[in-house]
Amino acid sequence: MTSKIINMAERIKDNEDRLLESMFASEPIADNGFSEQIVRRVRRKLFVRRLTLPIAALIGGAFAYKSLAGLVSALYRILLQLPGDVVGSAANSLPSVQLIVTGGLILVAAILSMNMLED
Amino acid sequence: MIHGEDNELVASVLASQDTAAFGELIRRHQSHVRNFLRKLTGDISMADDLAQDCFMHAWDKLQTFSGRGSFIGWLLKVAYTTFLQSKRKSKRYAEILDQVGHASEVEGRSYAVQSEEVGDLDKFLAVLTDEERAIMVMSYACGLSHREISETTAMPVGTVKSVIFRGKEKIRTSFDIKDHQHG
Repeated sequence: MTSKIINMAERIKDNEDRLLESMFASEPIADNGFSEQIVRRVRRKLFVRRLTLPIAALIGGAFAYKSLAGLVSALYRILLQLPGDVVGSAANSLPSVQLIVTGGLILVAAILSMNMLED
Repeated sequence: MIHGEDNELVASVLASQDTAAFGELIRRHQSHVRNFLRKLTGDISMADDLAQDCFMHAWDKLQTFSGRGSFIGWLLKVAYTTFLQSKRKSKRYAEILDQVGHASEVEGRSYAVQSEEVGDLDKFLAVLTDEERAIMVMSYACGLSHREISETTAMPVGTVKSVIFRGKEKIRTSFDIKDHQHG
């Protein structure tokens, strides 16, 4: 009820209000490529945002490659030192350290790229 | 051309980052936003730059649109915030210029009348403060209700009404408003 009264009161305009409305009124502004320009900016922003994660992962991977290789190599050595009957022949059939690290990095990059393409 | 209500387009943007739907929202409301900012700044190119920034902010903050009020009301809120941020930046810039001893052209230029032909509206707007100008423009140019203006500016409805009253009073005392009625 109160809101109805407020709305009615708002609708009751005096001459001064009508005059101000006519003075404040303005012609619509033609778009002339304005909206397209913003959409392009938004698309560029989205593209950059989607690229950021895979690129950061690749750069981080490149920096971390040596440390990762060292870590995997240490784990590999530990695995080889375990008694043969615990690990069995699995230890002997493991690929080289470089192959494991590179494979892991390629897998991560591929997952991130697929996510980006999906978006 | 995409059809549908504003809220449907907003939902589409939020669900799938649909830039085409966002483009349609811009096409629908760019004229209102640009006119609002032109009246606030009095400078066409500055207003259009701010309008671009406003739509970029709108893209980033679209999830804050609750869908309860009108989309244009929410958009004008973003535009007003963008305008105020730009004013603050200009003020800081002016202060830095002052510190290094340059005369500042920015400070004190609250409303820049760009054209040589100063219209009645420009004269009216020039006597108002930023806040009064924004609220008067929302009310008389954009047709927002007092309640919508209150939501847009985060002011109580009573304050909005008193700002409009004060604005009208200033215009009335600065100009003989009846002179414009017939001329």
